[in-house]
Amino acid sequence: MGAVTYQNQQVIDYLNQRFVPLQVPHNSQPLATDFRVSWTPTLVILDPEGVEHHRAVGFLPPEEFIPFLLLGEAKVHLDRQEYAAALPPLEQLIKDHPASDLVPEAIFHRAVCRFMTTHDPTPLKEAYECLKSCYPQSDWFKRSQPYSLL
Amino acid sequence: MQHEIKWEHNLEAAKIGARQQNRLILLDFFNPG
Repeated sequence: MGAVTYQNQQVIDYLNQRFVPLQVPHNSQPLATDFRVSWTPTLVILDPEGVEHHRAVGFLPPEEFIPFLLLGEAKVHLDRQEYAAALPPLEQLIKDHPASDLVPEAIFHRAVCRFMTTHDPTPLKEAYECLKSCYPQSDWFKRSQPYSLL
Repeated sequence: MQHEIKWEHNLEAAKIGARQQNRLILLDFFNPG
C-alpha cells in the first residue's frame, strides 16, 4: 500500500481531506487483538467513537481504495439507519468509479436506502434488473434475486 | 496540495481528531517489514 496506493495524489487528497488516517504496525497491542488482525494490510473504517463499520484485508490499488472508503462511509450511515445520508457516498461511488469491483454492492445498498426512505419497493426491483443486466456474476446479483418478485 | 498522507499513530488521538473534525477514521494495520 505504501509503495503504490498511498503515493497516489488522489488518495492522498481524499484521505487528508475526509478522514483521519491512522496507521499502526500489524502486531501493535492491544489493537491487533481487539480488531482480530491476521493478515496485512488490514484496513478498517471506524467512526469517531472507534466502532468498526467496514474492513478490507489485502492490497487495494488506488482505483479500488477510494471506492472502499466511500462504501465505508455509506456503511457507517447504514449501520445507524441513516439511509438518506448513506446515499451520497453510494451515488459517488457508482458515478465516479464505474469500473470498481464495489459498484454492484453499492447498487444493492443504494436500492435499500431508497426503499427505506420512501417505502416504495420499485428501487429494489430496479436494482435487481440493473445487477442482472450488468453484473450477472456478482454475488450482489444473487442477493437481489428475491426482488425480482416485487 | 499535500504530497503525503498525514498519518496519526495513536487511536485515542485519532478519535479526538475525528470528533473535532466530524470525520471517520481509516485504521491501517501495516507490516513495517
